[in-house]
Amino acid sequence: MKLILFYLRKLLAVVRNEVLVLPSRVAVIIFFLFILLLPSFTDDVYILRVFTLTCIFAIFAASWDLLCGFTGQLNFGHALFFGVGAYSAALMNIHWQLAPWFSIPLGALVAVAAGLTVGIPALRLKGTYLALTTMAFPIIVIGLIFTFPGFTGGELGISGIQKLAPTRIEEYYVISILMLVLCTIMWKITDSNTGIIFHAIREDEIAVRASGVNTTRYKLLAFCLSGFFAGLAGGLYAHFMRIVGPSTLDVSLSFQVVIWSIFGGAATIYGPVAAVFFLYPTLELFHLIQDYRTIVFAIVVLLVLIFMPDGLFRWLREKVEEECPRCKVRNVAWRKTCRVCTASLE
Amino acid sequence: MKCFKKSMFVSAIIFLFTVSLWATAFGQEIKIGVIGPMKFVQGIGHWNGATMAADELNAKGGVKVGDKMMKIKLIQADSNEFLSVTDATNAMERLITKEKVNFVVGGFRTEAVMAMQDIAMDKRVIFIGCGAAHPELCERVAKYYDQYKYFFRGTPYSSSDLVKAAFIHVGTVGAIVKQSLKIEGPIKVAFVAEKAQWADPMVPAVQATLPKMGMELVGVWRPSPVATDVSAELSAIQRAGAHIIFTIFSSSVGIPFARQGGELKIPAIQVGINVEAQKTEFWQATRGMGNYVITSNTYAEGVEQNELTTPFVEGYKKRYGEIPTYTADTYAAIIYGIVPAIEQTGSLNSDVLVAIMENRVYKVPSGTVRYTKDNLGRPLHDLTFGPGYLTGIATQWQDGKLVGVWPNGWKPAPGVDVTYKGMKPIKLPPWMIKAYKK
Repeated sequence: MKLILFYLRKLLAVVRNEVLVLPSRVAVIIFFLFILLLPSFTDDVYILRVFTLTCIFAIFAASWDLLCGFTGQLNFGHALFFGVGAYSAALMNIHWQLAPWFSIPLGALVAVAAGLTVGIPALRLKGTYLALTTMAFPIIVIGLIFTFPGFTGGELGISGIQKLAPTRIEEYYVISILMLVLCTIMWKITDSNTGIIFHAIREDEIAVRASGVNTTRYKLLAFCLSGFFAGLAGGLYAHFMRIVGPSTLDVSLSFQVVIWSIFGGAATIYGPVAAVFFLYPTLELFHLIQDYRTIVFAIVVLLVLIFMPDGLFRWLREKVEEECPRCKVRNVAWRKTCRVCTASLE
Repeated sequence: MKCFKKSMFVSAIIFLFTVSLWATAFGQEIKIGVIGPMKFVQGIGHWNGATMAADELNAKGGVKVGDKMMKIKLIQADSNEFLSVTDATNAMERLITKEKVNFVVGGFRTEAVMAMQDIAMDKRVIFIGCGAAHPELCERVAKYYDQYKYFFRGTPYSSSDLVKAAFIHVGTVGAIVKQSLKIEGPIKVAFVAEKAQWADPMVPAVQATLPKMGMELVGVWRPSPVATDVSAELSAIQRAGAHIIFTIFSSSVGIPFARQGGELKIPAIQVGINVEAQKTEFWQATRGMGNYVITSNTYAEGVEQNELTTPFVEGYKKRYGEIPTYTADTYAAIIYGIVPAIEQTGSLNSDVLVAIMENRVYKVPSGTVRYTKDNLGRPLHDLTFGPGYLTGIATQWQDGKLVGVWPNGWKPAPGVDVTYKGMKPIKLPPWMIKAYKK
């Protein structure tokens, strides 16, 4: 009992001293609670559907950020990983009767292979050239799908895929918890030594290579990791929608993920996730003004990109928090001294 | 004063309560969801047809359900299905779970309709498809009847029948060309299908069928669905000596192909499927060069499949200023499909209605609906194609007017002659006649 009380007190201390001191951390806690408690406020299957899809796209957007935001490998064909993951999971489920728990991770591994396939030739390319090359890959896969309609379902896609869980609430919990876990893992990766090297590659690859780091290996690793997470999102999508078609490889989906990430703030992980949670349900809500839905959406995105070029959520964070010039620890913006080193923040 | 305010407040509450009770008891509505790509011509057709149906029914006092009259309320849902299948499924789920619709009509892109079909079937809501032609949608009904029995095809008939009809049109035109121009030997046909997956199976079908029809295939051309210049293909077709150009176009390439064919005066007649040529704007879009183009169609001004056609076509034209396209058959799906079944059963229960709907044979403005069964006798909920049922029509642009040209003396079986009222003879392009009568 005493031990439990000791850990509880310790937890409270951590919450008070580490979490409640920064608005961004409080926001993350509120976000986690919102995700986990949403079904206790509503059991409306439509709302749960929208948020389930939001969770899937949040994983997808964060996986783009891992590759492009952090490592600087501009990918305009990210739907490739999503589509390959979705198709692989669907095919394994339909042809080999594999349960979602096997088909989704195996599908993600196929997406890793796709990541390598794109990553190896892309090693020689940078910037716009890389972006245009990556854009071609989903189109090639669509061509393959149409070439072998007997196996891939062609234009119709693959239907009759097994449901992830029997009820919408269960589906929501499976996907939302996975989203929280996977996004946390991605965030931890970017915060690790590997993440620092990813950052460095984006900033100055030659300098990193001069430091003795095998950048080729790290760039391929970024492609594989990104492919894995996007493939997981694709597999979840396939089992949630119960149909996979060529639309999972659409160019529009590849651009959608870029919009989400830039809107929220690239190279942050939390930015793309928050952007998807802001934009996707909002766009759904815009069906009330159906005729102006697209134009209003475009105006909102354009205004944010013009006035907050680093992304909405990074801008918001900069407004409520600031970094201590001496110890680099973040403090709430209205503090006069740093909470750690007590240096003046004014 | 205070007492007066209090009594006013209580009276207001009682009034509101009474009104809401009255609305619940007497103001019940049948909610029909209309789903489609509402920013595109297909979705606009869905909505226009359904609106016309709802207004007509409500003007008559509504629909008799048991011993009470219920008004029709339409709920529009933009599926955005050309751009996002996910949006389409969200729209369907919203219609069913938030708006609590009793029926859904619409849908266009097959991939999206299949995903929407799954949602409607899970919720046991009757969904009448008014746009997608793929047979798989109905094969699901036969294979998994208990799950998919709530789906019915409203329009068009299955894509395999669309192809069958196109071959009949080619055969009819071939006979006219042979007779009018006194062509010796087989009629030469150039096959031009847009480079799209749905048109791929047509190539082997054409290669196998045309020789059996006594025709010669002189070549296959596959321009891009969005090509803006097809003069190279047309020149090659001219060099190949084709008499007929068998077209399969659902996209914008139908306009430049018809326009340039007219500009270059290719001595061949275009027959087949050209969705652009079904639209009223086609004449302006081709600057009149699309004259003599023949396409499969559903409606044309002055053409009567039965006594229901003219009131519908004229009513639609008066209201929306154009001839209805096939997606406007949401009108028929509501007025002749759903409503009589409700009135017959006095119920809105999907299972009760399905049992009635799948066995009904009824007239619609484009013909007569009878739902088919597969080879094993399982209900497909697909439309019967053929004389006496739905045949579609073929229309030709003749000097700025879209006129019906088929079926006009069509003899599908010995002793059977199908001719719809208002049909006109097929005209061959004058430059074609000139080229072959030298």
